[in-house]
Amino acid sequence: MLYSLALKNILASKGRSITTFLLSLFTTVLFIVYVAFMDGSHVQIIQNSVEIYTGYGHINVKGYEEAKDYDHLIEDAASIETLLGKESSLAYFSPRFETYALLSNKEISIGSMIGGIIPSKEKNLSRLQSALIKGTYLDDNDTNAVYLGSDLAKRLKADLGDKIALIGSSLDNATAADLFTVKGIFKTGLFEFDSNSAFVNKTYLDTLMMSQNKASYFILRFHHDKDTFKEIASLNQKLPREYEALSWKDLLSALVQAMEVDSLFGYLSISIFFLVIFFVIMIFGYVNIYTRTKQIGLLRALGFTPGAIKKLLFGEHLILIASSVLIGALIGSAVSYYFHIHPILIPGLADMYKDYGVVIDSIATDFNPLTIGWDTLAILLLNSLSIGYPIRQINKLSVTETMRYV
Amino acid sequence: MKYLFVWLISIVFVFADEADDIVKAVEKNLRGDYMYAQMRMIVTSKRGQRTVKVESWSQGDKKSFIKILYPKQDMGITFLKLDTQMWQYLPKIERIIKIPPSMMLQSWMGSDFTNDDMVKESSMSKDYDARLLLKKMPIVTIELIPKPNAAVVWGKIVTDIDISRKVPLKEVYYDDQMQEVRIMTFSDIRQAGSHILPMKMELQPLDPDKKQNRTQVFFEKVNYDNPIDPAYFTKQALKRFSN
Repeated sequence: MLYSLALKNILASKGRSITTFLLSLFTTVLFIVYVAFMDGSHVQIIQNSVEIYTGYGHINVKGYEEAKDYDHLIEDAASIETLLGKESSLAYFSPRFETYALLSNKEISIGSMIGGIIPSKEKNLSRLQSALIKGTYLDDNDTNAVYLGSDLAKRLKADLGDKIALIGSSLDNATAADLFTVKGIFKTGLFEFDSNSAFVNKTYLDTLMMSQNKASYFILRFHHDKDTFKEIASLNQKLPREYEALSWKDLLSALVQAMEVDSLFGYLSISIFFLVIFFVIMIFGYVNIYTRTKQIGLLRALGFTPGAIKKLLFGEHLILIASSVLIGALIGSAVSYYFHIHPILIPGLADMYKDYGVVIDSIATDFNPLTIGWDTLAILLLNSLSIGYPIRQINKLSVTETMRYV
Repeated sequence: MKYLFVWLISIVFVFADEADDIVKAVEKNLRGDYMYAQMRMIVTSKRGQRTVKVESWSQGDKKSFIKILYPKQDMGITFLKLDTQMWQYLPKIERIIKIPPSMMLQSWMGSDFTNDDMVKESSMSKDYDARLLLKKMPIVTIELIPKPNAAVVWGKIVTDIDISRKVPLKEVYYDDQMQEVRIMTFSDIRQAGSHILPMKMELQPLDPDKKQNRTQVFFEKVNYDNPIDPAYFTKQALKRFSN
């Protein structure tokens, strides 16, 4: 009986019901889509950072991440290569040798990260090759060829064909110096990376740095990126004690934390909006209930207890809110899914973000049913609570007061 | 009470002045007006031991020229410091390279010394405020705190000085978190012409990861008493005196 009465009351005050319904619907859609876009941009930023150079996983000597020096090198890269060769879960892997050296062109000298890579293997592990903007990418037979970051090339005032001096320390602490010809220039969009990095063929760099059969770390890519954490844990069981396998979450911990903080601020910002919506719905509920004071007084006179009145009014509100939140969740999910499949391409966005070290040329959502479920529940709970105060207030009035209420 | 306060303040200033004078006297003794030296540097690290022999010419604290004599693969590499700038000549690639400020904290020739140590861009007397901590004649302990706008690397230096011979005995370097970072000890103090000099220096980093590291420098020849040819302190000298 309460249910049919609640339904009748909803239909009786159509205007207010529709407004409450639409407000709740709009809030739900907005929240789901907002969170999906926020998470989507974070996923995209992290994915770009992972795929441009860092990679999904590394194997290095324990302590290398804290002190990236010659005391923490993999001293027998061949044995690690043999071990990784037997790993069926790995799609690709390759050793890298990284060092800090001085690059000099004419009067300009800049301290830079020099990466020794195996060009053919790197194609499947990073976006270095696809980031080429001028000249050609490295190949496995290159000797004195360097692949320069676009901003580093600008800072060095160097162009294709220029001879650049590289001065560093070899593993025996002697001075390692050689001239390299600029073979290609790359731009990933990661500003810091483009302005501080240069790459050469590892085989040649090894002869200069006396780092044959040594590596700073191995970069890994598994058949399925989503299995990275599981496979990293499994690798850690198999590796000799002095080595460790790290996932991108460990390697980019600062970025991951920054994204978490950003999410927190995102939720805080939208919660202000929800607070407004919460009060709007509450005021609507308040007005709605008080215009029916006499009707409530009549029900009370007919024997309805304050508890039954509470159930009736809450039931009315719940029907409206639950239906609107449900429909809102469906619409929000559909929108999120659409923009997950079809990201919004924004020309010039990459340029706008590059100063922050972020590579984004499109905005996509992260379609995650679990997150949508939690978002929906949060809105449902919040909107349901908004009717609590008006119900409490009306139940405070006596039967006589409600009957006489003008 | 008022007199006690004034007396205490005066004591602080007197001690500060005295400490400043001691630091200046030590710097003047070690640098001299001109200095020629031949040194042997032994670098010990996890990766083994390495010996480097160098020859150096300097004039006051503004100009210095260093030439690597040994090992063979580094022979002929020269360094020139003029004021706060540093250049390097590498005979293998026949290039003169200017060392940028960002590389000043990098290791010099694989040792525990930095490029900044070599150019002595920072001066204890000019960039630090000195304070006398302990006086136990002839040894004094002085604390050096960077002046507010000084471009220096260390958060603090505490040094033990033999004031009778105007030589340091020990220097403890702290980072900006006031954690001890490295210790330099001086020994084998001898008369070198008109100056007294510790003929052996040992630098030990305190990073637990670098427990095995140390750099020892032995002065094999020192001459403070002959002026140095100004031709050494030009960029042309880098190539000219490389052979």
